[in-house]
Amino acid sequence: MRTRRSFTKPLVLVSGFAFLNVAMYLLIHRFWIGGSSFLPMIGIGGPENKFIFAFIVNMGVIAGAALGALTSGEFRFRLPSVADLPKAILGGILIGIGVTLAPGTCTTSFVTGMPMLSVSSFLSGAGIFIGGYIVFRIIWRKP
Amino acid sequence: MNFTTLVAVGFLFGIGFGYFVQRAGLCFAHGLGEIFIGKGKRICRMFAVIFIITAAGFLISGYISPELGLKTIGQLRGFGFYNLLSGIFFGAGIFLNGGCILGTLRQIGEGNMTFIVVFVSMIPGMALVVYGLNPLLEKNYNIHNVLLPDLLGVAAPFITGTLIMGALIWLLILMRRKS
Repeated sequence: MRTRRSFTKPLVLVSGFAFLNVAMYLLIHRFWIGGSSFLPMIGIGGPENKFIFAFIVNMGVIAGAALGALTSGEFRFRLPSVADLPKAILGGILIGIGVTLAPGTCTTSFVTGMPMLSVSSFLSGAGIFIGGYIVFRIIWRKP
Repeated sequence: MNFTTLVAVGFLFGIGFGYFVQRAGLCFAHGLGEIFIGKGKRICRMFAVIFIITAAGFLISGYISPELGLKTIGQLRGFGFYNLLSGIFFGAGIFLNGGCILGTLRQIGEGNMTFIVVFVSMIPGMALVVYGLNPLLEKNYNIHNVLLPDLLGVAAPFITGTLIMGALIWLLILMRRKS
């Protein structure tokens, strides 16, 4: 029982995520990316269809998350509330601008870019902190 | 490996990523929020663990095959001001809707359809930059993306090793229980 519990601890689970990222790179020479993977939605497949590949991987992420939620009893179908729609739409548009202005989603930067020592990812990481903090101050805590 | 097989294997890896992310509750947007309210230990521990494993794995991969090893992320516009600017837009976006890319995908998988709206709303943002701004930006900005070892003139194993040691010490400090 104790062994089973230890395998469900968040740090063990994120270790599994990190090992999978390295394993995918070793096995098929591709790594996980976030933002650019959505460019096929506006008709851009990328060089050697790299973005299409990444898009399919991310569709797998949705399937995997659904699997995790269903097996743990955390799956709950929720329709968007009208009050949440403006934030969701504006947030989505800003994310869309951010991921195409320069590559740098938080996950690509923190999970793949920084461990790869890619300079652009360190800069993107700094930008994400600044952008997040601005919205945090405006919405949650007024200065 | 043909593209169909590649995509099929990638999809299976995606399922694995999604499963681990959902069970761990990993979302960098939530994590940033935790940091800003002074309760960032959980996300910092997660980031340290991910960094240690992937940094070591990516560095070692270069010794396994010359095709692997460290590579720059994102060929678009190299590195510089635009990374910072894109990060600011992105950071504001994820904080507004409450989900980073992984968090958005995870929440769709968990049945939260608000994140389908987020997902679809990315289309006009991406189209604006790709079809509107890109032609202008490409004329004015052309810097090659580089790796930190090239920028600093220090060997990659030394930098990765130092960062991993730092992350390990940071992780130990974060995991220390308060007496």
